[in-house]
Amino acid sequence: MTTAQSTTFLKDSVSFPFCKGCGHHHYVHNLDNALSSLQLDPKKVCIVSDIGCIGILDALFVSPHTFHTTHGRSTAFATGVELADGILNDSKLKTVVVIGDGGATIGLLHIVNAALLNVDVTVLVANNMLYGMTGGQNSGFSPLEFITPTTPEGNIVPPMDICAMIKSCGAEYVTSISATDKNLTTVIADAIAHPGFALVEIVELCTEFAIGKNKIDGKIIQTMADQHNAATLPTVFKRKEFCEEYKSKVLGRPSKIKNDSLTQKYISSLRGTRRWVIAGTAGEKVQLSSYLLMRAGILCGLHATQKNDNPVTQGSGFSLSEVVVSSDEIYYTGIDVPDVVIISSAEGLKEVTVNGTLSRSNKQTVIIMEDSLPEIVTTAKLYRVPLRSLCTPQRATTSAVAAFIAHELMIPLEAMIDSIQMHVGEKVLLYQDDVRKILPLLS
Amino acid sequence: MSTSIKIRTGNQMIAEGALHAGCQFFAGYPITPASGIYKSMIEELPKHNGVAISSPDEISALAYCIGASARGAKAMTATSGPGWSLMIETVQYALMTELPVVIAVVQRLGPSTGGATQGAQGDILLTEYCTSGAYTIPIFAPSTAEECFEVTSLAMFWAEELRTPVIVLSDKEIGMMSEDVDFDSLVSSPINYRKQPDSGSANGFKTYDFKTSSDVPLFSPVGGEHKTTITGSAHDKKGSLQKNSPETIEVLRHLQTKITSRAEEMAFIKTDDDPNADILIISFGITARTAREAVKRAREQGMRVRLVNVISLFPIPEILLKKAARGVHTVFVAEENLTGQYRSVIQHLFTDTTVIGINSLGTMITPNDILESIIL
Repeated sequence: MTTAQSTTFLKDSVSFPFCKGCGHHHYVHNLDNALSSLQLDPKKVCIVSDIGCIGILDALFVSPHTFHTTHGRSTAFATGVELADGILNDSKLKTVVVIGDGGATIGLLHIVNAALLNVDVTVLVANNMLYGMTGGQNSGFSPLEFITPTTPEGNIVPPMDICAMIKSCGAEYVTSISATDKNLTTVIADAIAHPGFALVEIVELCTEFAIGKNKIDGKIIQTMADQHNAATLPTVFKRKEFCEEYKSKVLGRPSKIKNDSLTQKYISSLRGTRRWVIAGTAGEKVQLSSYLLMRAGILCGLHATQKNDNPVTQGSGFSLSEVVVSSDEIYYTGIDVPDVVIISSAEGLKEVTVNGTLSRSNKQTVIIMEDSLPEIVTTAKLYRVPLRSLCTPQRATTSAVAAFIAHELMIPLEAMIDSIQMHVGEKVLLYQDDVRKILPLLS
Repeated sequence: MSTSIKIRTGNQMIAEGALHAGCQFFAGYPITPASGIYKSMIEELPKHNGVAISSPDEISALAYCIGASARGAKAMTATSGPGWSLMIETVQYALMTELPVVIAVVQRLGPSTGGATQGAQGDILLTEYCTSGAYTIPIFAPSTAEECFEVTSLAMFWAEELRTPVIVLSDKEIGMMSEDVDFDSLVSSPINYRKQPDSGSANGFKTYDFKTSSDVPLFSPVGGEHKTTITGSAHDKKGSLQKNSPETIEVLRHLQTKITSRAEEMAFIKTDDDPNADILIISFGITARTAREAVKRAREQGMRVRLVNVISLFPIPEILLKKAARGVHTVFVAEENLTGQYRSVIQHLFTDTTVIGINSLGTMITPNDILESIIL
């Protein structure tokens, strides 16, 4: 049993729950001494603890906030605390992560990310080279030849050097030290005081599981700490803490979204619903043409929906949109029988064949298809138009939509032209020209 | 005539709803079909003096949110099935530690990676019953872009009110489809914040204190004047780790009671009624609006049909659903999954009525699918 000192963040006369000789005793005392030496207001300290023997130290502290989390995730929770504190509250809360080598193994990415961000979190890794709470199994930190219940022949996988790894993430305050080192309090205090991410690996002995079958003692522990601490800490820290960076570069910046409210300007004679399928090639403004159609409908006081489809790689292969325009509220957003199908390329034709649009088309359907494409068998009314050569591939589907609107007269052509103009400005003249060329071919 | 019609996706309207409700913190990781929420929050939240940040995975995204929530921020994240799977550990933690958060889950086809751009409503049971102990997690499901705004605002309200994780369960069709949204007619819930203890009452504060089981403990943030003791392990009202003490069991019961005692207040359905209906169709999300089309067509054929669009999937709005089934001989439950997940948890409510599922896998249910089922 160990009794805590008087100027302390620990509970009075607290009994430590650790095994006799366990390095965690040194860890807790030195952390407490470090917090006291910094003269921090305990309400401005949050100890975020992980799972494992070291993780239960939260119960020993009486005055700071404690946040006992899940295995390996402590650094991620701590990052969230600091982001909210540093950016939204600015209360200079000091957040200290208490984690073992097991937690650091399963939660390595969270430590990596906190280091990359350079958020003001201090991670104190208690490295006793094994999972103590569950029976001494090997961790990612176990040395070569280390004997544990799960490496009975000796560990054949080299241990990770958390310091080297985290330094490579741009962390500036990274060091390793033996739990019995007389400088431990100072090192922990410096790490907590550092205004950015800091990591201290505290190398310890697990008296229950590490000794006996392994030749390990204080001298070997010291050598390990020295090896991981090969480079000395920098004298000048160059990186800006993340929250400061965020506040100066991101927070409060004006929105890029323009006011895009629409008001009815035109009157449509459409009563009921028109379902359009527009298919072509990625990069040829297929989905844009659908958006412009949808907006034209809304400018006439109609309701509209638009769904897009493309291969997962997005920038290649087909591009397809389904647009429903209706004088009534749109309940069903799918398309059983399309009213209008526009196909501007071979990729588009392939997709409307594969997805069943063509087979679901009937004599009520109008298809406007690029005329260089192969013959198709359909009962739909088919117009073959040289869209790509008349309008260029980039304007093909938009001009085809506008031409059909001009042909059908349900939506005024002015609404579609207005919608196009909002997007392309005076280049709308090119589209009006296209419409004049396509329209005679739809009769 | 409205002068503020905008073209918006459901995902964008979830972001709008969160901003309206005073969301201050968002952490995200990209995943189709939920990425639109992440993008909108990154674009808009900093303008509202909030934090929107990229995380290296979904585990971190939710852990960042819970850390921020513990510091006092109204927090939210968004994901789809594969990301949700990774978040389950931390959702349980949020429930146990009574830290509010809203998670938008935009469903796609599963299992596993499934189909990133294919719609589905297959995560009903995976979202609701993700905790050890099957604690009730409030889940709200939108069926239009406007409802995305409405239910996100509602989810944020209940998360704060109950200090618990709340899910907005959307789907690919609702999330990624654009439609006309009338911003003048948007519906929202009151903007609230978790109740806090009085300043100066630091002595005697207990992190998880309550008098009666249904009470919600007063919240004080880490870094605040009251010392907080947060833990995901079984604990007493102070937050001290305990093994099966009577007070610990009381705390565990309270986690459920504080939700179920408010079930009637959370109950929310939208009914397209026919008072003389002999058929009831129950649906939600994208399928609910398809069902509205089917009902319209069925009525044109002279059928007497009532439709219920369930917005608050959980806690199950039992009283409202039972009432909706009065006078009907058959209840149909339409949902885009193989086994009838929602039907499986509500069919016990309809003791004197035949319950039939209308299901589909990999494709949207069509109005004709529903019509063919109800014309027996």
